[in-house]
Amino acid sequence: MVPISYRRSSQFLISIARRLFESLLTAWAAVTFTFLALRMSAGDPVGVLLSRGLASPADADALRIQLGLNRPLATQYVDFLSGLPGGDLGQSLYTSRPVADIILEQLPYTLALAGLALVITLVLSVFLGIGAAWWQRKPVGRMLQSVSGTAIALPVIFVGTLVLWAFRAIVTSGFLHLPPTGFQLFIPALVLGFSNSGGIAWTLQAGIQENMQAPFFLAARARGVRNGLPLLWHALKPALPPAVSLFALEASFLFTGTVVTETIFARPGLGRLLVQSILDGDFPVAQGLVVVAAFVYTVSLGLADICSYFLDPRIGREV
Amino acid sequence: MIRTNQPSALPILLILLTALILTACQSSGITPEGLVYGLTLTPSGLDPHLNASSELGIPLSSVYDTLIFRDPETGEFVPGLAQRWQVSDDGCRYTFFLREDVIFHDGTPFNANAVAANLDYIVDPDHRSQKAVFMLGPYAGWSIPDPNTIVIHLTEPFSPLLDSLSQVYLGMASPLALETWGPAEYQFHQVGTGPYRFIEYIPNDHIILERNPDYAWSPSIYNSQTASVERITFRFFTDSATRAYALETGQVDVLGEIPTTEALRLSQLDEFELFTIPIPGIPFQFIFNTEHEPTDEASIREALIQALDREFIVSTVFMDTSPIAQGPLTANLLPPTASTTFPAYDPDAAIRVLTAAGWDRSSQSGDLSRGEIPFVLTVIVPPWGSAPDVAQLMAAAWQELGIDVVIKLVPGFGSLLEAQRSGDYHLIAMNDFGSDPNVITSYYASDGLYNWSGYSSPDMDQLLVEAVLSSPDGEQRLAIYREIAFLVQDEALIIPIRDYVNLVIANQRVDGLHFSSQGWFPYLIDVRLNS
Repeated sequence: MVPISYRRSSQFLISIARRLFESLLTAWAAVTFTFLALRMSAGDPVGVLLSRGLASPADADALRIQLGLNRPLATQYVDFLSGLPGGDLGQSLYTSRPVADIILEQLPYTLALAGLALVITLVLSVFLGIGAAWWQRKPVGRMLQSVSGTAIALPVIFVGTLVLWAFRAIVTSGFLHLPPTGFQLFIPALVLGFSNSGGIAWTLQAGIQENMQAPFFLAARARGVRNGLPLLWHALKPALPPAVSLFALEASFLFTGTVVTETIFARPGLGRLLVQSILDGDFPVAQGLVVVAAFVYTVSLGLADICSYFLDPRIGREV
Repeated sequence: MIRTNQPSALPILLILLTALILTACQSSGITPEGLVYGLTLTPSGLDPHLNASSELGIPLSSVYDTLIFRDPETGEFVPGLAQRWQVSDDGCRYTFFLREDVIFHDGTPFNANAVAANLDYIVDPDHRSQKAVFMLGPYAGWSIPDPNTIVIHLTEPFSPLLDSLSQVYLGMASPLALETWGPAEYQFHQVGTGPYRFIEYIPNDHIILERNPDYAWSPSIYNSQTASVERITFRFFTDSATRAYALETGQVDVLGEIPTTEALRLSQLDEFELFTIPIPGIPFQFIFNTEHEPTDEASIREALIQALDREFIVSTVFMDTSPIAQGPLTANLLPPTASTTFPAYDPDAAIRVLTAAGWDRSSQSGDLSRGEIPFVLTVIVPPWGSAPDVAQLMAAAWQELGIDVVIKLVPGFGSLLEAQRSGDYHLIAMNDFGSDPNVITSYYASDGLYNWSGYSSPDMDQLLVEAVLSSPDGEQRLAIYREIAFLVQDEALIIPIRDYVNLVIANQRVDGLHFSSQGWFPYLIDVRLNS
């Protein structure tokens, strides 16, 4: 007879391995799709450079050879894939700089904004979700629920513009002096944090409310688990996995750049880099960003799955 | 397992939060002192010798000096790093006698070898220069008769060369820095001889310049001998809708390309000043496709122009901030004359011409048609420069005559060239920038890259070549461009709309702001800050 703990851990490892394999497959599919899509839609990058007057027609062929574009698509694809494990994402068409350098340069800005926005998301969504569930029959609960409803309903661009407008009024009236960091980090983080918290709050709230009706919750009550935090934990714990998955999705979204927010608040970051590279027809950069995005999504969703495995004893243990 | 994990999450979160707050407080402590100047585009590259963005010249024209400068008032060339210059009689040799007292920001001396190193860097095919190399035209090489004299050789005369040499794209960089950093990294470590030193560039975030205390070779176009503002930070405000907001909240002191309504609103306030800066080049215009019925007939094209009240359109869309364009070149490049004036608003005349050409209005639908063929105009419009608004007003005027107008909005410049290849349009909206009238060549030469009109005439080609081969200064060259403008008007190849203006707003801290003849570039050396 195999000891239970050993069986559990081997099951765990198998499920992790399977998850990892699936993630790699997904990332590969995303990268391949982008590689092909960019070449189909953007056409010939040399043509893009020519059309913007950035190269002379006489140089076209030389440029094609220099950029390695005269080789068969399959060779280019294999070259691109084989560079990935070593972090080689190719070179920008405009500046001849390594794509990895260009992305790393913008990364800190995205990390700072995403990090702060995630902390705000976490605090807000936990407060809104648990509060709305726990006080569901009281006015304060309904109020909290409508706050998260508002967060879901309003798009970032609207909330952002509204907040900008409000802060303009405050600053121009002279009540408050905000340093540039305030405008470019805290306000956008607040906007993003608020917008992202709504969905997570609702997921938490729905889960807790459902669990409070479940037999195991009544049993815990009957067992005499103390009202308040201990009892709340009984209802909260099984409600966490879907919220964690959603949180991971939001995190991936934030860490791969937020175009609208970066643009409104005049901030650097991966989102604007992506838009700029597509508009410029600098497709190695766009491609590199998709690789990074695929990586971020894979890792964070994988982590969320592992968290869920530990949080909910029912997940991944069917034999 | 959960119980052991649970408590550790909280401290981690607290540490993260504290760290974030600390970094935020720290960075708010180094709020940049001095001037904050807003840029409106994020250039793909910042090397003036290799990249083509007009935005890069806003900071860099104060980092570099050029061999000569162009006086924004008179349009004359004045000495810069070259004290004087000579053009050979055949127009193929330009000799520059250089100043001997100039040193780069890195301490190395400026001399003829430095100029040669810059030219070599620009024309090196491996460096793939996107603009500077083309500005040199039929460049053949250089020779150095003595350490402070350089001769630039051309294979044939090229009259725009002096204008090219007065622009930041041909600014003089330290050969040592070019050599040390190479084409990929030099953009982050630029070294010139100008009134400001290049300190730092973080793409999409900021560029920092600091005053060059050793600047002692100020050209006559500057009012000051050295710069007065210690430090200038450039930040990027790419979203036009939030630019006025950035000014009002004090995030930026000077910012251009402000949308017209916002610019006019801010100019009413005490704390802001509006600068209306004309940008020389090709005015905002609609180019007729002369290869597609019915705009292949000159009389029809002329009637379509007469059907438009261009004054009304310009004043409605641009609220009287822009001058009405009078020809294929902006008024500051080629002052309009009576012979080059486009037909005025006269809808009745337009109807007479259309009727004479066999176009009749159906009594039932009111649609204009010739036999079975309806009069349809396809207009291709890019999103910038209020082009869609102008196209709407034009369409409304033509629809009055029973013309069916289809407006096609396209995303960018690439799609405009795409349209040129397909030929499936009657009109296309376009404007371009350039401080030399030569900018017109690629639009009207038979094989021109930007020949959207499809117009091809030996006379025109001949005139365009003559203009480039003519002597760089003087009335004779302008006379040739005037003949070209006359041809464009006579053939009704375009509908000129407005001369481009950059609406710049500066707050009351800023004093002494003025701009180069090229339009976009400020003379930062003369800017002072009020306390």
